[in-house]
Amino acid sequence: MSVAAAITGGGDRPLDDSPAQASKRPLWIVFWIFPGFFGLFGVIFVLLLRVIPPPRPDVGYGYMTHFFETHHTTIRIGLGLLFLVFGGHAIANGFVTYHMKRMSSGPTFAYVYMGALAIGAIPGMLLVAFCFGAATLRADREPRIIGLLYDLGMLSFNGSLGCFATAYLAFAVAILVDKNGIFPKWLAYLTIWQIVTEVIATQMWQQTSGAFAWNGSIAFWLAVIVFGVWLNCQILAVKKATDEHVAGTRPLD
Amino acid sequence: MTESTSTSTVLSDGRPIAAGESSHLPGDSHMWVMVLGDLVIFGGYFLIYMVDRAMKPAPFLAAQQHLSITTGVVNTLVLLTSSLIVARSVYAARSGKYDQAIKLTYLGGAFGVLFIAIKAYEWSLELSKGLTVSNGFFSYYYVLTGVHMLHVTLGLIILGVSVRELRAPKRRRTNLVEQGATYWHMVDLLWVVIFGLLYVVR
Amino acid sequence: MTATSATKNSAAQGLRYITIAWLVLCVITIVSWWLSPAHSANTAIASVPITVAVIVLGFIKSRLIIRYFMEVRSAPRWLRLATDGWLVALWAGALAIYLY
Repeated sequence: MSVAAAITGGGDRPLDDSPAQASKRPLWIVFWIFPGFFGLFGVIFVLLLRVIPPPRPDVGYGYMTHFFETHHTTIRIGLGLLFLVFGGHAIANGFVTYHMKRMSSGPTFAYVYMGALAIGAIPGMLLVAFCFGAATLRADREPRIIGLLYDLGMLSFNGSLGCFATAYLAFAVAILVDKNGIFPKWLAYLTIWQIVTEVIATQMWQQTSGAFAWNGSIAFWLAVIVFGVWLNCQILAVKKATDEHVAGTRPLD
Repeated sequence: MTESTSTSTVLSDGRPIAAGESSHLPGDSHMWVMVLGDLVIFGGYFLIYMVDRAMKPAPFLAAQQHLSITTGVVNTLVLLTSSLIVARSVYAARSGKYDQAIKLTYLGGAFGVLFIAIKAYEWSLELSKGLTVSNGFFSYYYVLTGVHMLHVTLGLIILGVSVRELRAPKRRRTNLVEQGATYWHMVDLLWVVIFGLLYVVR
Repeated sequence: MTATSATKNSAAQGLRYITIAWLVLCVITIVSWWLSPAHSANTAIASVPITVAVIVLGFIKSRLIIRYFMEVRSAPRWLRLATDGWLVALWAGALAIYLY
């Protein structure tokens, strides 16, 4: 057994370069993009696009038109910024995938995670920006079309759960089955809570008011709190996994 | 699931333990993170339900009348019994009676399947009466019982992991079986709260 | 693995306790049938005493499950406190909201 394999317990193998010269700097650069991107995501979606917290579903076209008129400057700045930086999600998810490949659970879970989130980003992040941007583009757009863009944006952002639930399930199962201890087991259980809150999002397609609407106390607020806790825990776990990753090794293919 | 054990001869507040008793965390801390967090999240759902109900007590009460209390009672008894059986399987595992522990786990799981079947039947009755999520009370009912059923299904998978553990002579780690039982009891606990708040409170 | 007689006794005692807990839980459940608004054909009316009774019974039931089935009775103090805290927050909270 090679030295590197002995050190890493078999989960990683050495790079072709001499391990003594390897450095983890590329890993750290990639790591910091993860929280950096999500910080920007927060600024964009909360302060600029005004999607978080969401505007109300139980309103008429007058309210919706007024919403876009009031926020049309910040929406345009927000989506400009988003389209510059949204590649950051691919880097963040790719980095988690990298660590998942170091698990003994096999690469399948890692690829499911990566693929599901890559697809999920389209309805779950980009579509609302496109819709809101289109709604603010022309001042004299008919109110019913404005209403359609409002609904389409909000429903896609909050109600697109299948991809995320799948990714989180792969993540949770991979951790529970992993013998290399890349991520802690309690993170798997937190991820299961995430899945539960995602599943409840199905209800926002049924209700426009109350706890299960897209701005509801259960479908939105509780879910966003659980997500915030979960995301912070995932970032901390990824940092720890990067710390423990032996320089000069890489996951098995 | 992970391994860890902690036993001592003194309870954590200093009291000496009676013969045979010890301060013991069943399962391990990771599963307790799951259970406690799940309880807190569900607790949030329950309190939000009570707030909503307090704002419109009359329509909620009228809707509650459409529930089948007999089915609710039967289902509660089914789940309580399955919890007892799973608890007994843990005792069996601890005293090395692995065959009995496996049989009891299967039996407990069977009661879990019965619970799901009864619930599905109950839902079909309610849906055929036209009670859907468009009714305020029933939107809570379907979401809470639906998410609970998801937990029961997960619990059946976890009990399956317990059985697998008990079968392999080289493994049979007691704390893994305990973890499965802890999760299953949580499922029972959540149902007892749902039953109390949704079926009985008026 | 040899079990001392002390361990065997405590195991037998434990089994007895959980069986008793189960019986109590079943009895409380069956009693709840009469308290429920759905059991009679007449229109149900709100009732503060019944709801208070239901909440107290609910607290007792959940504590029995936690202490006996989940074995928190013999668990470290932090867990006993945490679960009791959750029970109080939930049931007292529910009662407070109902009465307000």
